[in-house]
Formats: sequence, structure tokens, C-alpha cells
Amino acid sequence: MSQNDTVRSAGVLRLVNGKRYHGELVAGEKGAAFYVKKQQEPFVEFTYAKINRLDNIRRGGTSSDVTVVLKDAANDGASYTFELNQGLKLYGFMDQHWVDKPVAKKTRADELHRLAELRGERIQVKRHLIKRRHPNRSVAGDIGIYFLLVLVAVMMAFPLIFLIGSSLKPLDELFKFPPTVFAQHPTFDNFSDLFVTMGQSWVPFSRYMINTVLITLIGTFGHLVIASMAAFVLAKYQFPGGKTFFAIVTTGLMFSGYVTGIPNYLIMSRLGMIDTYWALILPAFAAPIGLFMMKQFMESIPTALIEAAHIDGAGEFRIFWSIVMPNVKPAWLTVIIFSVQSLWNTSASTVIYSEAKKTLVYALQQIQAGGVARTGQTAAATVVIVSVPVIIFILSQSQILETMASSGIKD
Amino acid sequence: MQKTMNKPLLPKYFEMKKEQFRYGLAQAKRNKVCYLFLAPYAILFITFFILPIAISIFYSFTYYNILEPARFTGFDNYINLVLQDEVFLTSVKNTFVIAVITGPVGYILSFMFAWFINELPKWLRTIAVVVFYAPSIAGNAFTVFSIIFRGDAYGWLNSLLTEFGIIEAPKLWLTDPRYMMTILIIVILWMSMGTGFLSFVAGFQSIDRSMYEAGYVDGVRNRWQELYHITLPSMKPMLLFGAVMSITSAFNVCDVPRALCGYPSTDYAARTVVTHLFDYGFSRFEMGYASAIATLLFLVMILCKKAVSSLLGRVGT
Repeated sequence: MSQNDTVRSAGVLRLVNGKRYHGELVAGEKGAAFYVKKQQEPFVEFTYAKINRLDNIRRGGTSSDVTVVLKDAANDGASYTFELNQGLKLYGFMDQHWVDKPVAKKTRADELHRLAELRGERIQVKRHLIKRRHPNRSVAGDIGIYFLLVLVAVMMAFPLIFLIGSSLKPLDELFKFPPTVFAQHPTFDNFSDLFVTMGQSWVPFSRYMINTVLITLIGTFGHLVIASMAAFVLAKYQFPGGKTFFAIVTTGLMFSGYVTGIPNYLIMSRLGMIDTYWALILPAFAAPIGLFMMKQFMESIPTALIEAAHIDGAGEFRIFWSIVMPNVKPAWLTVIIFSVQSLWNTSASTVIYSEAKKTLVYALQQIQAGGVARTGQTAAATVVIVSVPVIIFILSQSQILETMASSGIKD
Repeated sequence: MQKTMNKPLLPKYFEMKKEQFRYGLAQAKRNKVCYLFLAPYAILFITFFILPIAISIFYSFTYYNILEPARFTGFDNYINLVLQDEVFLTSVKNTFVIAVITGPVGYILSFMFAWFINELPKWLRTIAVVVFYAPSIAGNAFTVFSIIFRGDAYGWLNSLLTEFGIIEAPKLWLTDPRYMMTILIIVILWMSMGTGFLSFVAGFQSIDRSMYEAGYVDGVRNRWQELYHITLPSMKPMLLFGAVMSITSAFNVCDVPRALCGYPSTDYAARTVVTHLFDYGFSRFEMGYASAIATLLFLVMILCKKAVSSLLGRVGT
């Protein structure tokens, strides 16, 4: 391989037996090789003639992480998975010329510069005020859109900023005329009030919090495992009833908790689960959105990977647990965020009666019912409730967007 | 003549069905383990999502108050709903107004802003996604509107408007029937960039760039043509998903009016179908009546989805 026409990319080579090697994939026009860190000899080497059509390419929506599965025809059809951290551009029709040049593309202007420099000249470059990245965009339209974006973004963010501002205001500022958005003398009194003042009430605020954390943790974990198991067989196996079941689940996306609320209450009371957390947790295990997202995402896992493991003698559960699940981590986060969002925000007033078992949102509603005098604490409690899903979303948003790229409903 | 034609056909048909069934059974046997994987989810899903719908439909034809056994009443619940229950008609009107405005507008806004932020640099796009999506993921954050729209002079909007001399006395934004619906629609629109929005953002990102280049060569000249001829057709699945999400949230407005406008609200001006359902189901325990409301609501949602998906089938052609 000549050094010029190669693309290098750091990444992980994952063998079917689950072993992982960190190193570098070097790909050129005729072949590719994987070098394990600090080793001179290539770990595996291919020429493209030996590689079958690449079965699958998982292209994440926004992330530049890419998984490539290469099948080596000469070597008993062994397949290798590359996870490339950056750099390679892959095409849907990967034949021989599957590797593009690295991302740093030379523009025509760069080329002119280079030629001019070779000739020893300096050329003047006209710079556009606004760089046009796309041929079909008018500058006026761009400016209009950015203006609109900023305007709406401010409108969207304002209530949340106002909320945080209110939660930090001392009592006298909450009722100042005219009201301000930001606190002039910010204080955490409202937050400490939640735990101190309300700590002495019959059911302390922290109790509501622990209840909600417990429900959310158990519900989300169970949902993740159960929905992933179902999603795995629905995505990767053909069996009678599978397609129909998934179609029903897709319709199930529209079954809101309100429509099913009353019959669910009847079912729960028949099962003796009223006033227990199971009344909240069990339905959450079967939330349609989690299965839907997981199944759509799992479809992009190379079937070759699963077949290869079958040939190696791995059972279905082993395949699911040690091959499929590690490959769909972005989808985990998506399932987690949807589940957390709905469980964390549940008020559960219809199925939980004991005060000591009530949830955080119920407590918030009670504080809010306390009226104007409790404005500060209401704001503080809302901040506590809101911050958890928002923070989880911020931390995992790139993976969530990657999963959402496969969220469409094919009709 | 016809009889002799039909006779051999019918058994043949059954034979074919039998054969199909046998083949299916063999397939099922070969994939036994699949059912094992599916079972935990399927059992829970059927118990808590499918069964409730069936129960709902069943009880909608009965009078049932939990204490006494259900009594079959035929279509009485439905007839009463439409002919006698004026509050229900108010709630239908309100839900209809909310759904017709916030559903399509929220849907289009989600799409437009997903499109606008698509071309921003990555770090800016990340911030924009968080800013736009935060209200809907934040769940109960909308309670802050009870401070913003508070009816006394300390309410933010009231004091702002008084300051500028637009109003003289504070307005009761959340308790005056004249303003309630407007406020509700504003708040619901604020929360409308939800899961559909995320799906759109991701959908835009995953469209193959070379299609735009090809479009440019083929004579696509501005961003609108590009949107209609290239972007929309390749995003159909996301568009349908977003529509399902929009329909669901537009018809299931309940928490927002309950928290902001009171429950019940003044003159039932902020009553929606779901709050009505809640009232009958969990305050009056008229489960049969509430089930009829739920069944109607569910039917309307399914019809809406059908309409939207046939509409989307024509996009870009």
C-alpha cells in the first residue's frame, strides 16, 4: 500500500468472539489492514478482492462513529467489525472503492493558492461576508432564518429561565413590583425550605423524592431489558405473528395514559396492585415507545454478525446479551430518557393513595395548591423535578439523535 | 352449472389455508425461542395496553360504578354524551380547537425549526436542540406559567402590560374564560417540540448530501424546491412518526388545563375531553360513561392517523 492514498483511522476491532483490540485501521485503494497499538505487523490484512460485498454499514445519524463489518471470503467467511472513531466516509454501495479521501477536502481556492505559491506569486482572495456553504441558499433567506431562530429560541428559553430566576429569589423579590426575571440577591432559601420546612411535615419532601427515584430506576431498568429482548427478535428474526405484533405496538404509540387510565385502574384493582408501586412500574415495563425505538435501531445491526455468532455455537441469549446489546448503546440511552421522562413526571394520583408512597410531582401539586405564599417553593420544587430529565438529555443528546435517525414509521 | 363449479373450489381453498397454517406452525416451531424472548413484553403489553382498550369498549355499553356489577345499557352512554351532556360538548369544542391549532402548528413548527437548525455548526445545533426540546422533556415546567400569567398585579405579564400602559387593571388570565383558551394554546405550543422534533432533526442529518448536489445539477434552484423535491420524500417515515406523536399529544391535553386553569375551570371554559373523562372516571366513578368518552377519543385519534398517513403518501409526488 502506498502511503499517499491511504486513510488512517483510530478505532476498535471487535472479533466475533467478543475480543476487542484498540488500534488503527489503514485503508488504501487495494486493501485495508488493522494495526494493533504499538505493533509493526498488521493484525489482519485484506485485499478487497477477498472481501465479499460488505454486508452492512451502520451509519449513525449524527455521530461520526461508524461500524464496518468485513467478510473475508478466503478465510472461511470470517467477519471482522471495525468501529472507526473518525475520518472515513462510507458509501451505501461499497464495492472496491469504498474508502473516500479523508474529510479535509481541498477546495478549488486552496488549489489556486498552492499553484500561485509554487509560482512565487501572492493572490488576493475576496472574502464573502457570509460564507455560503450550500449552493441553493440566498443570503437574505439565511439572515431571515437566523433572526427567526434566535427570536423563537429566546421565547422557548424564557419560561425556563424565569423559573430558575424565581426559584433563586428571596421572598421580598418574588413580590416586587415590577417583577424581575433574575434575582438581585440570589439565595438558595427556597431549596433549603423544601427540605427543612417540609422536612418536618408529616411526610418529608425527601420521602417523595426517594419514592420517585425508586420507581424511575426500577421501571426504567426493567423496561430496558424487557423491551430490548422483544425488540431483538422482532428486528432480527422472521416468525409468524412478529410483524403483526409490531404493527400493533406502533399503533400503541397512540395509547396515552389517559385513554387507558380507567380500564388500567380496574385491572390493577383486580390484580390487587392499587396503592403499590407495581401499578406504575408494570405498565412502564411495556411502554410502546421504548420497544419501537429499540427495534428500529436494532434493524441496522449487521445480520452477518448474528449469523457468524450462530455458526460459532452461541445461543440466542448469548447473542442478545454479548453481541447485540453492546452494539446498541445509543438506543439504550434513548429508551432510558423516554422511560425516565414519563416515570419521573408521573403524579400517580389515581393509583397511589397512601401519602407516604406519593411521588414528587404529587408533592409539587400540593405545594402549588398552597397558593401564592408558596411561589418560591413551587419554583424550587419544579426546578428539582425538571432538572433531572433535562440533564440526562443534555448528556446523552448525541446518542439519542443517532437513534432517532431510525425512528421513522414505514407504512 | 355454478354449483358444480363451486364445489371443488371450496375444499381447495380450505386445503390451501390448511397448508398455510401448517407452514406457519412449522415456522413458529422452528423459532420457538423468539416467542420466549417476546413473551415478557407481550404479556405486559397485552395486559396494560390492549386489554384496557377492549375493556373500555365493553364498559362503554354499560352502566358501571365499580360498586355494583355492570348493567348493560346499549348505546345510552353515547346518546347521553351527544344529546344531554352540554359540558361534554364544550369539552369537545375546546379539544377540537386545541388539537386543530396546536397539532398542525406544532408539527409544522417542529419540522421548520429542525430544518433551520440543520445547517448550523454542530455545537450551535446541539444548543438549539436542547433549547427547543427542553420544554417538552421538562414535564411539569409549565407550572411556571402560573407565575407568569398570575392574575394579580405581581404576575409578570400583568405588571409588564401595566408598565407599558397597555392595560390599567390586572387581568385574570387563568380564571377569565375569555383568555383561558389562548393561554392554553400558547403553553401547549411551547411544549409541542417533542419527540417528533428530535426525529426530524435526526432525519435531516441522515439524508445523503449527494442527493442535494444531484438536485442542484438537475435544476433545483432554491431551498423551497429542495425541501419539496428532495428532503420531504426522503423523510416520509419520520414525518409519519412525528404526526403520530403530534396527534397523541394534541388530543390528550389534560395536565396543562388542570394545573393552570383549575379543575374544574371557570364555566368549564378550559375543559377538555380528557379532563371530562377524568372527572367521570376518578371523581364520580361512572366508569361506563368515562369508558364511552375514552372509546370515542381513541377512535378519533385512529382516524386522524389514517388521514395523515394517506396525506403523507402524496407528499413530493
